[in-house]
Amino acid sequence: MVGTEHVEMIPVAKKEIWSAEVNGRAVEVLAPSNAVLLDVLRDKVGTLGVKRGCDLGTCGCCTVMIDGTPRLSCLCLAGQVEGSTILTVEGLADGAHLAPIQSCFAEHGGSQCGFCTPGFLVTAQALLNENDSPTDQEVACAIEGNLCRCTGYQQIVDSIQAAAAIHRGEAEPAAPASNPHPDPHPSGPEEPQMPPGHAR
Amino acid sequence: MSGGYRQQPGGAGKVTRKDGKRVAGKQAFPPPGSGGSNPTMAPRDLDFIPEMVGGKEAQPAGAHVHDRARTGTSVGKPTALVDSNAKVTGQAWYGDDVRLANEVIGKILRSPHHYAKIKSIDTSKVEALPGVLAVATGADSPHQFGVLPVTKDEHAMAVEKVRHVGDLVACVAAVDEATAMEALNLFEVEYEVLEPVFDPKKGLEDADEPIHWRGKYHLARTNVQKRVFQEFGDRSLVETPLASSHGKWNMAGVHHGFTEPHAVVAHWDPNGRLQLYTPQQVPHYTHRALATVLDVPMHQINVIRTFVGGGFGGKSDPFPHEMCAAILARKSGRPVRITFDREEVYWINRGRHPSHIEVKMTADEEARISGFDIDALIDGGGFASFGHVTSYYNGVLATAPYELGSFHYTGARVWTNKPASGAMRGHGAVNTRCAVEVGLDEMSEQMKVDPIDLRLANLLPPHSRTISGFRITSNGMREALEKVREGSDWDSKFRQMPLGKGIGIGCGFFISGSGLPIHWDPNRFPHATVHMQVDMDGGVTVHTGAADIGQGSTTAVAQVVSEVLALPLEMIHVRSHESDTSPVDLGSYSSRVTFMNANAAIRAALEIREQLLNAAWEILGYHPNNLVLNDRRIYYKHDPAIGVSYLKALHKAQEDKGALIASGAYRSPPMGGVHKGAAAGLAPAYSFSAYVAEVDVDVETGMIKCTNVWAAHDCGKALNPLAVKGQIIGSCHMGLGQVLSEKMVYGRTGHLQNPNLLEYKIPSVHEMPHVEPIIIESCDPEGPFGAKEAGEGPLLPILPAVVNAVYDAIGIRLRDLPLTPDVVFKGIEKGMKAAGVDDPLDLTSPRVEHGALQPLLVKRAAEHKVRDRARQRSEDTDPYVNGVLFGFDPNLPLEDQVEGWRTATEPDPEQLAELGLAGKAWLKKEQRHMGGDE
Amino acid sequence: MLMPPFTLHHPTTVDEACELAAKLMAAGEGFDWVAGGTDLVPNYKWHINTKPHVISLAKIQGTDTISSNELGCMVRLADLTEENGVHSVVVQAASKVASSLVRTNATLGGNLCLDTRCFWYNQGEDWRRSIDWCHKADCGTGADCRVIPNQNTLCVATYQGDIAPTLMVLGASVHLIGPNGARTLPIDSFYQLDGMKKNVLEEGEFLLKITLPEDANKRIGSYQKLRVRDSWDFPEAGVAASWIEGDPTSLVVATTALESIPRTHPEEVASVLEAGWDGNASVKALSTAVQKSVKPVNNTALPPRYRRSMVRVLTKRAVQGLLE
Repeated sequence: MVGTEHVEMIPVAKKEIWSAEVNGRAVEVLAPSNAVLLDVLRDKVGTLGVKRGCDLGTCGCCTVMIDGTPRLSCLCLAGQVEGSTILTVEGLADGAHLAPIQSCFAEHGGSQCGFCTPGFLVTAQALLNENDSPTDQEVACAIEGNLCRCTGYQQIVDSIQAAAAIHRGEAEPAAPASNPHPDPHPSGPEEPQMPPGHAR
Repeated sequence: MSGGYRQQPGGAGKVTRKDGKRVAGKQAFPPPGSGGSNPTMAPRDLDFIPEMVGGKEAQPAGAHVHDRARTGTSVGKPTALVDSNAKVTGQAWYGDDVRLANEVIGKILRSPHHYAKIKSIDTSKVEALPGVLAVATGADSPHQFGVLPVTKDEHAMAVEKVRHVGDLVACVAAVDEATAMEALNLFEVEYEVLEPVFDPKKGLEDADEPIHWRGKYHLARTNVQKRVFQEFGDRSLVETPLASSHGKWNMAGVHHGFTEPHAVVAHWDPNGRLQLYTPQQVPHYTHRALATVLDVPMHQINVIRTFVGGGFGGKSDPFPHEMCAAILARKSGRPVRITFDREEVYWINRGRHPSHIEVKMTADEEARISGFDIDALIDGGGFASFGHVTSYYNGVLATAPYELGSFHYTGARVWTNKPASGAMRGHGAVNTRCAVEVGLDEMSEQMKVDPIDLRLANLLPPHSRTISGFRITSNGMREALEKVREGSDWDSKFRQMPLGKGIGIGCGFFISGSGLPIHWDPNRFPHATVHMQVDMDGGVTVHTGAADIGQGSTTAVAQVVSEVLALPLEMIHVRSHESDTSPVDLGSYSSRVTFMNANAAIRAALEIREQLLNAAWEILGYHPNNLVLNDRRIYYKHDPAIGVSYLKALHKAQEDKGALIASGAYRSPPMGGVHKGAAAGLAPAYSFSAYVAEVDVDVETGMIKCTNVWAAHDCGKALNPLAVKGQIIGSCHMGLGQVLSEKMVYGRTGHLQNPNLLEYKIPSVHEMPHVEPIIIESCDPEGPFGAKEAGEGPLLPILPAVVNAVYDAIGIRLRDLPLTPDVVFKGIEKGMKAAGVDDPLDLTSPRVEHGALQPLLVKRAAEHKVRDRARQRSEDTDPYVNGVLFGFDPNLPLEDQVEGWRTATEPDPEQLAELGLAGKAWLKKEQRHMGGDE
Repeated sequence: MLMPPFTLHHPTTVDEACELAAKLMAAGEGFDWVAGGTDLVPNYKWHINTKPHVISLAKIQGTDTISSNELGCMVRLADLTEENGVHSVVVQAASKVASSLVRTNATLGGNLCLDTRCFWYNQGEDWRRSIDWCHKADCGTGADCRVIPNQNTLCVATYQGDIAPTLMVLGASVHLIGPNGARTLPIDSFYQLDGMKKNVLEEGEFLLKITLPEDANKRIGSYQKLRVRDSWDFPEAGVAASWIEGDPTSLVVATTALESIPRTHPEEVASVLEAGWDGNASVKALSTAVQKSVKPVNNTALPPRYRRSMVRVLTKRAVQGLLE
């Protein structure tokens, strides 16, 4: 199999300084001239939340926001977006406080195995930034470039709609679903109406 | 919150008595940070406590042995996955996210030939390339492995032959990816190309060079890896049918299509132990295989399961690239990371088998199903993988939920020079199920009855035995059918909609955990073990080997522990990543995790609970029978004021022994028949499902759009309804892919033409119908809190439901999956020819007028409904075996009462002439019976 | 999937780009143009016909003009919406290209200059080695065509762009520029029959913009796309049609994804008009004529026989769309 029937991989392309603002932080890394943004983010910047699924633009796991637009980092030459503002899944939360879209994905089953989740979150956040009351059809059109193999998308759409409601101010972030119903009196199984402190 | 009981300091708590017995109100407690985050005890949540033990949760299916362990804390509540915060913040670490210091990159050299002998491999140029740190070939890994002990036919890298394009030949580790890729081009491999086999039908014939050689057990010189024959019941019943269906199916292979490609990191730590990071569904089998391949005892290997970016069966074999990484890491002394390209993912495959399935079925004059005759020829590709099991599942998982007069199955799995098929969601059951359900639809049309009524009048009841000897326990099939019929408004749509619009029904039946573990026999280890530790801080650490692949098994285990101990979920910490710390678990396959692990976890939690109650008894003076656990507190059931905090009871219990430790295990009971293959398909419980699908067919283009699905699944008890619904909808998505668009395309040269996600067509959000998930709770007596599986079974019914709906829409039966538009259009063209019309818009869709049998079926279904309810609630405990519907006495062995009743695992000589396609494998003899000396 | 080494250049003006091209040509160094990268990057990741230099058009000023009669090559497909004054038939086609995420990267110029596709060609290096290469990317082996073997002259890879046929039915012109100067030609003559050569771009030339004639706005158009999924998929067949309302003689029909080039069907339209325009009957005749004129081959997801049959349905629907 030796011979000219392949493309030489070395010497590697010339390295250059690549800079951008990633998640609010100015980064400057040494990257080859031919680098793809996804590789730079994962291998140089260290934002491993950006996932490599298909590497060819179908799965959407590598979606990041570039200057506010959701784009596929696997098809984006790093050199072409040098100097831009990049937001990855790691930049969605405000410190320890999850963004509504993040907590809604957790609460509404939008994430199962979680591998496609970073891409969906970024795409969905970009949609909500533009439109906080999307129809289900608009949500579908926004996420049509993201592939999820676990959820069948339905709970993802539910999650995005729930987050949209929070963005509109119509809903509070959901309380943990494990909270019991608001019966104020703890009671034993045989006498459910027994008031507290009642001596026997 | 007023009226509650403070669990933490912060108020003017007043201890009124010193004996600790009757202390009401606020109490002095250990420092903050202990015992959960809410200082006040939550009220008991009666909506989630079964009515049998004083709560308000309805139990139509009767009481359950775990009812007393219910505290209303988390079971049955929609619960976010406990690891979801890691996932939504991008912090979940998958295979390729493990980056160790000094790592090097591994790459694999793959075969460019379908089938060839390796004559020599010259690695000298590779080794000379600067930056290359290690090179390995088949010579470095002579030991064979495989997921099933009976069929170990894989090597880390090809030893003698390559068996498909993409088979592993050698591997290399280098300082960076570019160097590793360049190195691959410097291998000099000399091949002797052999004649490949692609068509499974050819695989049944003798070959010059069979793909594998099994010695004296090899079947002549064929490529048959496994053949199965099973026959039960009275075959004379099929001779005078009222209705019959005969369908020949051609089903393409499909792939799991998980979003995360395989990746592995191997590192030999300074103590010489292997640390292997891999997204595995079944880390334990990898652990075993590594020990074999590397010649290292298992205790010197730590398999660390990373987060798994989707599995669906595709990450459940021990994989050669895992071995390669370990070998390269050992040779180079550096951590080695190997990540697959998508193309490599398709080459390692293990997807659903491409299948030729033939189903004949008959019904008698009372519309009873007198016989199933199934023949399945499945294309295994280059290796055995799970194929031994798949060969059985293709037949035996069709023996329920219907009562059958007879059952006949022949199956064969052949090796071909393609990437290996294996286990995929709905393992082995999916294709046959589709064929069977479509056959029932066809028979109901012949008999002029409603297909749902036909099913309702032929169901096996709860607590019965199938024709092949499976023990059915809980059974929610009837309720599932009734719910989808009602939800979909079936009676006013079926056979009544205009051309192009259709509605169809399909049912499913699947195992909830495999009754016999793959690797255990004859050792009687438990199937699942859970260790639990509670130290003075009050947090509960649960060690389990259950592999969470996104289905939420970690959450399920946390939930049941939280439920039994009445502790909030955030106090339960599940550690399941490392084989060093977790007890052995068989992994996430055959839908066993929730059933077996949660059962083991409940046992461990009950042990802890007993210690806590005994401590509370000592403190409060009330016997544990009179104590209630609720939200971090134990109290006297007649007076909640008399109680003790969880933490105080815990500390009391710890006085003499430190941290509380418990271990729980689950092993399925002995069951099933004694015939050869009786263990295949045995499970401690079975799930049931019924779906109705609605489709729009564009008759001019053949495009199918599934618009609505009503999906009822009997999961016993939904521990986490959010996750169960997610599984149901996700299964619909995957099943729709298989029935409408997904297919591994092997072109005329045998090459896989579409090894990428653009051409392997997984449905996008636009192809998803609205799915109405309907949870049926039949409360399984052996399941944890009554639960059964919900991960695989829900996939089965969607295929036949769609195929039947397409028939309802255009009146054409299609039996080539997937139903891509060209397949449908070809069918439409045939239909036009048959109907003598030029324009597809002039076709007519089928109509039905119910015949004389319909009222009879409705009556029988109504009677059976009464029967089933009594059996479900154990009001009727008489034995019931398949055959009672045909007038047999369940108390007598069938062989004694029916002349011609047969249980056979080999064909009679006179049957040989009539066997189907796969059955032809029985015309061949094993080498040991051929008188040869091989 | 690591791309082979290349140097990425970022000219900021058209002149600079042309000079750079001239310099590389003079030095005998191969190069490709890249706009959005959604076509080039996958091919490069597969190591298909890679070059040591890639010149990015992304930073060239003034290439992203959007107006009703001019569209720059760097216009992102996501921006081809009616709000930007773009003709509705172009919007229809643009909104059906791949997925919403691809469209934020992909550009008009890239879509028009899309490399032709074939399932023997759009594969990884290892895969193509296993079929011993094909003559569109033969790695110097002189390999044969895998679709139609035993001929080594013609490449039958399929052009699967969506937007070209819509521009054809609007009568657009393409403006090319390179070291040897600028030229303008009707988009019909931009494409050449062979799947290897694809279009008339000379070495060093790139597509700068397209312009639409004045009467384009009077035309109403319709685009029909055949694909398995409503996202991601390239067209398996595509038909665009337009006319000036009520004037059958102005009818133009163009097809894509059936052969190595998209093309208009003037003869078929003319033959139907000759018989006199008769509403639906003419549509039927035209659909059959267009179907007969195309010759798809087996190198995309759906079989050619089916795609050809569908041309009739798509043409019918596209033209009927105009009548409504």
